[in-house]
Amino acid sequence: MSEYKLNRLETTKLIGNIVDKHWASLRHAKENGEKVAWCSGPVFAFPYAMDMKCHFMAGYSSYAGGRGAAQQLLEIAEEDGELIDSCSYHKLHMGMAAAMRKNIPVRKDVILPLPDLLISGRLCPEMSHYAEGLYRKMGVRVTGVDVPPPHQKSEIKYFEKYVERQIRESLIPALEDVCGKPFNYDRLTEILITLKETAILRNECWEYLKLKPSPWTLWDYGVSIAPVFYLMGSPEAVPYYNKLKAELADRAAKKIAALEPEKSRVYWDGWLPWAFLGKFSRIMCKLGMVPLVGRYPWEFFPHPETIDTEGDPVVSFVKQVYSNGGQAKDNMPSLNLPVIQNWIEDYNIDGLIMFSSKSCRMWNLGHNDFIAAIERQNGIPGVVIEGDMVDTRMNSFAQIETRLEALAEMIEARKG
Amino acid sequence: MLYFAGIDIGSLCTKSLILNEDDVIIGTSIKRSGAAYRGAGEEALNAALKNANLKSENLNYIVSTGYGRARIPIADEQVTEITCHARGSSFIFPEARAVIDIGGQDSKVIEINNKGRVLKFVMNDKCAAGTGRFLEVMAGSLDMDLEQMSELAKQSKKEVEISSMCTVFAESEVISLFAGGTEKAEIASGIYRAIARRVTGLASHIVSGKKVTMTGGVAKSNGIVWALSKKLETELLVADDPQIIGALGAALIAKAKFNNL
Repeated sequence: MSEYKLNRLETTKLIGNIVDKHWASLRHAKENGEKVAWCSGPVFAFPYAMDMKCHFMAGYSSYAGGRGAAQQLLEIAEEDGELIDSCSYHKLHMGMAAAMRKNIPVRKDVILPLPDLLISGRLCPEMSHYAEGLYRKMGVRVTGVDVPPPHQKSEIKYFEKYVERQIRESLIPALEDVCGKPFNYDRLTEILITLKETAILRNECWEYLKLKPSPWTLWDYGVSIAPVFYLMGSPEAVPYYNKLKAELADRAAKKIAALEPEKSRVYWDGWLPWAFLGKFSRIMCKLGMVPLVGRYPWEFFPHPETIDTEGDPVVSFVKQVYSNGGQAKDNMPSLNLPVIQNWIEDYNIDGLIMFSSKSCRMWNLGHNDFIAAIERQNGIPGVVIEGDMVDTRMNSFAQIETRLEALAEMIEARKG
Repeated sequence: MLYFAGIDIGSLCTKSLILNEDDVIIGTSIKRSGAAYRGAGEEALNAALKNANLKSENLNYIVSTGYGRARIPIADEQVTEITCHARGSSFIFPEARAVIDIGGQDSKVIEINNKGRVLKFVMNDKCAAGTGRFLEVMAGSLDMDLEQMSELAKQSKKEVEISSMCTVFAESEVISLFAGGTEKAEIASGIYRAIARRVTGLASHIVSGKKVTMTGGVAKSNGIVWALSKKLETELLVADDPQIIGALGAALIAKAKFNNL
């Protein structure tokens, strides 16, 4: 019997239905005469503005992982020629495509209609291969939007122009061609208005993570990401976050902690382990360890107050990715480390967990360097955990448990 | 007199150690873990107790550690082997500031302070390269045990490269070298240098400029101590029985916990 008690939020129980509805609407889009897009990277607002049903690469992967379908799709992809240690998000899609092409029976709720347009928002080289692979295997139409990471502030204005130009000269004409109608800039503005309201509420919820003990955790936020990202503009987004904020305010007033007692507060770097949130949660709860803040989940529109809903919505969107977005913070050498160090102070963090995904190197580079630098500056210990977001074979929970327990012991020893 | 026990249930071997209140080791035992961790833990503890002329009711506090630490109901507390190796190493070598522990299924490099507290640690990933299991497989492919392989490596006159990091591919490489006429001694030496390269990659940023001790059953092998010392350019401190250091740390922690009750 654990000495710790996890108090689950009522609001987060609603997210399953919201997400299921989204994926169901995608599955049935073609029978309803709707156009379908698949999208990687952050540009799904554009097909939404054309009233297309849109899939999002990472969102689908967490959905398939959460449904327990990931392993089968990964293995189907490997039988179709994919390498075992390549990006598992890419492989999930290749597995889905192979299952469709070869009529391999898999869960129906993870099979999506082929897109009328595949938008390869390129944040990493794998996303190019994902688009190329699906084009080659399924013959779907592909367009790319390259979203390169900046390395210094002075580059941002050039990158914004570069991305904006791709959207105006390539993505929007492709969407107009597929949909047979002019691009709906007003609808894009409406989506941004809803996004702004949702993300401001989300930021107000983030403030509660600073309370000690915290009334909610990074895992709760992780399952609440969809309305502020790939379900942006959804009519359910604002009510969801209003309800969440009210529940957190109530918990704060009654001093109800997410985990009682809260023994240590940790930072989580990298992807969230979507298919294994429960397993991680069980290990961390046993240690009284609460994950509170992380680089990846924090990158989605961290400064929504800057969303310009009066001006050009394309410019406004691009600025949310660069000038006012997480993309810059996550990649600029001058910003990355100081941002994490600020969070360590703001959220009273006791230790670092660097989640090193075996199939996504983008987030892993420099993890030990980060731990060393933060330890020097902030005096807190850290640990690298190897695993994967959805691939069971890449997670060894005996090793993960030992590392997390050792982190808890280091934190305790430092607290004296 | 008060007595404390540490039980270290590793993937290959289970070690138990009894410590008295004056910090004197009065009994130890090492058994194969096998598939039944609980049984191995109890067997090792009973053997150590017999060795110390004690009964289980004489024990005041028991700490279990290692991958099977949660499987010992008799233990009062569980502590990770990282913390236990740190504490045990510091007890034997107070000047040590880094520990290299090569165990059956993982290898760890731990930075410690003057009190034997863990400052940081790194571990190998889920691959078996750089672990005791790697050495066992390699010795098996040369048709000898670890001790024989260690002795043989010293006779090597030439350096051959075992380049693969994967245990299975490295085994194929060894078989292929052997089939190609390479001397067993040269292959054995190449195996130790391969594991030393792997561990050095993990260790160098932690051990640099520090007194380093090596723990775990693999440290009983002269071959790996020689290869690692050479690669790290430092003389490794190795206890008389490096395999019981985790259990020693667990017993020391048991004493500290008991005194804080």
